[in-house]
Amino acid sequence: MRAVYENRFADLEPLLGRVEKPSRYIDHEWGTRSKADASYRACLIYPDVYEVGLPNQGIAVLYACLNAREGFSCERGYVPWVDMADAMRAAGVPLLSLEGAAPVASFDAVGLHVPHEMAVTNMLEALDLAGIPLRSVDRGEDDPLVLAGGPSVYNPEPFAPFVDAVLIGEGEEHLVEVCAEHRRLRDAGATRSEVLAALSRIPGTYVPSLYEVSHEGACTAHGYAVPRAGTDAPAEVRKRVVADFAATDPVPQSIVPYAKLVHDRLSVEVLRGCARGCRFCQAGMTYRPVRERGADQIVSAVMSGLARTGYDEVSLTSLSTTDHSCCRQVLARLNRRLEDTGISVSIPSQRLDAFGVDMALQVAGEKKGGLTFAPEAGSQRLRDVINKNVTEDDLERAARAAFEAGWRRVKLYFMMGLPGETDDDIVAIGRLADRVYEIAREVVPPAQRGGVSVSVSCSVFIPKAATPFQWCAQTPDDEVRRRQQLLLRSVRNRAVRVHYHDAETSLIEAVLSRGGRDIADLVEAVWRRGARFDAWTEQFSLDRWEQAAGEVGIDLRAVARTPYGLDERLPWEHVSCGVSRGCLEREYRRALEGVTTPDCTRSSCTGCGVCPTLHVSNVLAGERS
Amino acid sequence: MTASPQGTFRLRCAYVKHGRLAYLGHLEVIHTIERVVRRAGAPYAVTQGFSPHMRIAFTSALPVGTASDEEYFDLHLTAYVPADELLERLQAASPVDLAPYRARYIDLKTPALTAQITRMRYEVALQAARGFDLRAQAVSRALDDVVRAGSIPYVRSGKAKTLDLAATLVAAGASQAGEGEVRLTLDTRCGDAGSLRPEILLAALDRRLAPEVERGGPIVSTGIQDLAAVKRYSICRTAQYVEDADGSLLSPSRADGTHAAPLSVSSVPSL
Repeated sequence: MRAVYENRFADLEPLLGRVEKPSRYIDHEWGTRSKADASYRACLIYPDVYEVGLPNQGIAVLYACLNAREGFSCERGYVPWVDMADAMRAAGVPLLSLEGAAPVASFDAVGLHVPHEMAVTNMLEALDLAGIPLRSVDRGEDDPLVLAGGPSVYNPEPFAPFVDAVLIGEGEEHLVEVCAEHRRLRDAGATRSEVLAALSRIPGTYVPSLYEVSHEGACTAHGYAVPRAGTDAPAEVRKRVVADFAATDPVPQSIVPYAKLVHDRLSVEVLRGCARGCRFCQAGMTYRPVRERGADQIVSAVMSGLARTGYDEVSLTSLSTTDHSCCRQVLARLNRRLEDTGISVSIPSQRLDAFGVDMALQVAGEKKGGLTFAPEAGSQRLRDVINKNVTEDDLERAARAAFEAGWRRVKLYFMMGLPGETDDDIVAIGRLADRVYEIAREVVPPAQRGGVSVSVSCSVFIPKAATPFQWCAQTPDDEVRRRQQLLLRSVRNRAVRVHYHDAETSLIEAVLSRGGRDIADLVEAVWRRGARFDAWTEQFSLDRWEQAAGEVGIDLRAVARTPYGLDERLPWEHVSCGVSRGCLEREYRRALEGVTTPDCTRSSCTGCGVCPTLHVSNVLAGERS
Repeated sequence: MTASPQGTFRLRCAYVKHGRLAYLGHLEVIHTIERVVRRAGAPYAVTQGFSPHMRIAFTSALPVGTASDEEYFDLHLTAYVPADELLERLQAASPVDLAPYRARYIDLKTPALTAQITRMRYEVALQAARGFDLRAQAVSRALDDVVRAGSIPYVRSGKAKTLDLAATLVAAGASQAGEGEVRLTLDTRCGDAGSLRPEILLAALDRRLAPEVERGGPIVSTGIQDLAAVKRYSICRTAQYVEDADGSLLSPSRADGTHAAPLSVSSVPSL
């Protein structure tokens, strides 16, 4: 029998005084939109704690879209932190939605957001706390429909058996269509398998149970997914995309939390997509085409959003806000409007050139925290390999401009283990950081030099699906550790601080990025051994993953380190973001030759295939600089 | 009067902290009320300097889990808006459980709330643990014992501390609220000698009420106390006062001498 939709807050309340940050669980925030009476209920779950999940823009968009529809009510859920999860299990309280404090298992549909690979164990934690069978195949007629969607669905195989359907791409229209079709079929008395078959006919919907893994022909050890005989599921599921981005609500965000969040501010998505074509970057491939909102729409959205929410900060979000053709104009207008209000504007990252610093200056006001630049690789050769189209001159000019403008803290972001990387490239990172520190010494007056800080943050490259580097192996973790030590020795100036990412987490990220459906057994085994909140360093345990891998017979390092051949079918190629295989292969070859490819919003079409395949095009609000 | 971003008017608002919102921490309450002020479109003043922020000040922090019938904030404004009108706008922009219910202009020179307020009343509802016969009489006797001792030693963040009852507890009483339910009322004073955190007193009472239970160590000041005689308790700050020179208690809403700024016409219940 379906769990009853009823308010169970009284069961949760006695636990609140005994856990960290009870405001994570109390709901009743300003601006919620769910409805007491509805004929169809969905609960969207972010697979992490409240304060990490609440700022998520994707959920805010979908929450607004579903609640705008007659008869639909959408609520939210988050994963209780370990103290609360344990207390709930001990007290027999299931996972509850926030708005109605109702059991998540009582909803018609449960939507799991997939923000990144490491969230996968928390997806299972959420399902288990909710009392929903972990695997699609074990769910009955009364269980909710379990959907997944978000940025990290371009290799859905490692979590495919746990969900009933994966929504590929942008969900504004897609999720509403899926829920409407589900409601129609539910009311007509359709069975679960009839519902799943019908959903697979909605473009962009991947129903894993209708596919099986084949190892026929040239393919990797993980095989590849093909539609089962007798189904009419599509051989390739293409992502959904909103062609007219400017027609969507620029301020879907309505909820103002009590708890202090990771990103505690109003967000206005000013542009979607990025065409710079960095070859390691999954988002740069999967969010195409580029679509900008106009300056007037952005300014009025910011003003009305601030008035409605009462935030004291607004962030103009996108993959690369300083690329927006009206960036300068928008910032100037907002600064005028927000004078003497104590409200600040922020942009998530800066372009690595003098223009980027100029824009950062527009939003910084008197208070200048740190400035982050991302050269990504130390040498020009390797920057050409990854198609990061910036030069050492760009970085020097940007650093000089930043120190001259008054910034004292500069952080440089790099990746280690990029394809074709040599020791020379690592040494070059150290040299670049030293050079930036020298510029600071030239520019900053002696009395202020004590405040100067240059730091290097170096993450480990993870080869991702749907990128030109999807065939590449991950650099072995022991080799990564050796290069990290080399980097430490390469920085001559002792004032430059070096931080690097943990090679152990990166190994698991690579396994989850590159593996196939076989990895799902590993995920379930490691969750059963207690893995949850794997994105939190203090919760992550490589031992647990290694034990689970031994149990299910998977060699973690082999999965991460085996390169794939260009002739092989990859485990995720039944899911497409619209960028053609031909484009990815061509970009891979150009990478090996060190040949760069321009940004199609600043030159002519580079033939990635997105526009003709998805019947869309780049939409710019002006000329890009 | 010229408008200055630093503010020309000072509005004192009384608000509640009720229901689930009792679980908010002090900083969460502050952030929320600042957002309420901005949503209400109030002409709030901002500080000058590197990071300008709203000129607003609050009463002393309430612990997570403690409710209140009477909290205050002082808001500096750059323009005059009739207090009643602003109160309505603030109420419309506020969650009900944190809503202001009284707003009054006060003199710009009035001392800060935290300096003015020295007396606070609390009400604590106690629910007996299973199998424990909780009676007002026994609680009263335990109270007498604890008060006679004069102070309560406890540990906070690993440091040994002492709650001075002689200086902080003015009066206390217990009454039967129902079967196994006792209501405790506390009249407390805060000042240089510190303030009384009702949960420390509760923990001390519990040790008198159930002396047979092994506790292993001193009272520790944490979010919520694990008590032996009591299954659940809820604490509410019911009133806050400014003590007049002659010892009489005044509402913070009317404890300011002169009124250079416009006074609202909103009624203030007299004490």
